[in-house]
Amino acid sequence: MNNRQARMFAIAGTGLSVLIFLGLTLHSHSKFDELTNAENITPQVTHGKDVWHKYNCINCHTLFGEGAYYAPDLTKITQHRGAAYLQAYMRDPSKFYDENKHRRLMPKQNLSEEEITDLIAFLDWVSKVDNQGWPPRPILVTGGFIPGSDSVGAVASGEGTAAAAIRPVTAADDPRAQGEHVFRTATPACNACHSTAPGANMAGPTLAGIATRAAELVGSALYKGNATDVEGYIRESIIAPSNHLVAGDMYSANGASFMPIGYEETLTAEQLDNLVAYLATFK
Amino acid sequence: MQYKSQSVAYWYFAVAMTLFGLQLVFGLLSAAKYLGPDPLLYILPFDVTKVIHTNLLIVWVLTGFMGATYWMVPDESRTELHSTKLAYVQLVLWTLMGVTAVIGYLFRYGTGNKLLEQPLPHKIVIVICMLIFLYNISMTIKKSGRFTTTEGVLLLGLFSSAVLFLPALLHYENYTVSIFYRWWTIHLWVEGVWMMIMAAFMAYLLIRLSGADREVMEKWLYVIVGLVFIAGILGTAHHYYWVGVPSYWLPIGGFFSALEPAALVAMSIYAYGAIRRAGLGHPNKLALHWTIGSALFTLFGAGLLGLAHTWPSVNKWTHGTLITAMHGHAAFYGAYVMIVLAMITYAAPSLTRNRPESGSSLGYWAFWMQITGMFGMTLSFATAGIGQVYLERIMGMGYLDAQLKIQVHFLMLIATASIFTIGVALFIYDFFRYAPRFISDDEPQLNVVDARSNA
Repeated sequence: MNNRQARMFAIAGTGLSVLIFLGLTLHSHSKFDELTNAENITPQVTHGKDVWHKYNCINCHTLFGEGAYYAPDLTKITQHRGAAYLQAYMRDPSKFYDENKHRRLMPKQNLSEEEITDLIAFLDWVSKVDNQGWPPRPILVTGGFIPGSDSVGAVASGEGTAAAAIRPVTAADDPRAQGEHVFRTATPACNACHSTAPGANMAGPTLAGIATRAAELVGSALYKGNATDVEGYIRESIIAPSNHLVAGDMYSANGASFMPIGYEETLTAEQLDNLVAYLATFK
Repeated sequence: MQYKSQSVAYWYFAVAMTLFGLQLVFGLLSAAKYLGPDPLLYILPFDVTKVIHTNLLIVWVLTGFMGATYWMVPDESRTELHSTKLAYVQLVLWTLMGVTAVIGYLFRYGTGNKLLEQPLPHKIVIVICMLIFLYNISMTIKKSGRFTTTEGVLLLGLFSSAVLFLPALLHYENYTVSIFYRWWTIHLWVEGVWMMIMAAFMAYLLIRLSGADREVMEKWLYVIVGLVFIAGILGTAHHYYWVGVPSYWLPIGGFFSALEPAALVAMSIYAYGAIRRAGLGHPNKLALHWTIGSALFTLFGAGLLGLAHTWPSVNKWTHGTLITAMHGHAAFYGAYVMIVLAMITYAAPSLTRNRPESGSSLGYWAFWMQITGMFGMTLSFATAGIGQVYLERIMGMGYLDAQLKIQVHFLMLIATASIFTIGVALFIYDFFRYAPRFISDDEPQLNVVDARSNA
């Protein structure tokens, strides 16, 4: 190869790459709106994006996995935490996390209520962008699926409920085994916020010992709900979480639980029965 | 120093070295925050120290590029610079831009767009500085009428850097689209046109230091540039994983970024071949250390460590973890920091008075401590990142809990970063301890100058 041929190689190679790259860029533009649900970019979402930039969020957190690596990824955060929780969190993060325990704490940002609401709208838009199902498994903020990490589900990935990582069940299985399956595959998944390990409180309280606690609670003066037995208490907690509130600023505010509602619609009656049966096993 | 106007390079290098030192202060602060709790939580939170750390890097490396260009172009074109006054005006404007941007970041005055945090007025000043710079260099070459291939590659790299900065000035309503174009600037800089700049400096240094045949070196320079762009342009796709763009970017990113090391392997062979066939024993062995070191560290940091997590099915798990920090630190250091330090080390004996041409033992300590420190930092990020991937992404442990489990690697990070910082401090001290040679100085020129002008 002589000097001229080497030059031709550089120019032709670069030229061809640029052409392909520009062609694909043009094509991508015809897909952006559909992939990102551009019709849902409301003024609120746009303002939320400005809030995201204004407070330099990306230099601690990641979004779509891009940013700094000092704080959790927020791509799917609105699918793991309800709006009420996120609102209370952003008003004062120190009510939720202890810097001495986790060695890190998000500084209070003094956001206005409007900024918080719009930021959540923006993050919710982000969580619905079609990004090839990333992350493949939910990235949790705290707690974890351990024990039970062998059956972590691909809940947030959009890969469906039949992901290989989840132990399959059939109608012939014990109702409690089917209930465990619901625990990991419901939308939003119960295990995104609740662990079954004693003392491992995540966004929601641990469910270890829930049956014992429920038995003591139901019928006592402290109980505010309508259930009369353990199963009834668990069922009520799933479909009407605000009927009786577990104490703690990180679980509720203004008399409303942060737990998402709507399981009564999204789960079948049989799934609900199985889930209750499963949770009632935690004595 | 054959041409008096080359002395402007000294002041560019002096600014670059000062900002380099400052960059490390903020780097160490950021690293310390990984151990926590953070006593500066409400004074200098992580997002502020981190944004200053990365922005100072970009500013000082570009300052180094500019200084090195002002040094190299007179040598290559065998003429004085078009205007030293313009070069100084540009430096003052550029430094003011950099310093005010950093002060602004302390008060959260920035765009909050990763690596492009500079507020719009600052971005406009960057463009103005770039234009002054390109004008000055182009006029110099035009005046001389001598335009070498090495110079051509350098100039094309600098010109493209300016053009690729333009998408960063625009505003995008859709966050995904803004990510798409952010990488046109960032990726096509660091894995495209900056590589061109680096390759041109490397060719210049190898020709001067090893006496390698210009014909041969410039032929291979073309091949390297071709390989960089064939892999690098479509390799942009590895930044389009998981951000809401069409799926075909996944295989394209995997394939072309797997090709990216090819150019870096070629560059290492090229550098090694040049010293093997060296017909000239240039006395500045320290500059040769930095030059060869840059080629090899780039192959390691940018090539191998990039390849380690670029395949989509791997990246699916490692994306957005400390694995990226591992690759980022080693790649940037090898490719851009080391080549600037090589140019400084090559030019320093001429730019300053009474500095031994062969380099001092302090200079060698600086070299080896930096290499050792950065290698250790890379391993610390790697082990922390691997731990994070397994605990957080695969086992499903919460982010905060997983970070607690990998604390020991952050201790390693701080220990090795301290070694690195000492190496950098020695380099900076070694740079400043000899007074600059002013244009008015009428000293006899060093003998090596003759060897250089033959090349």
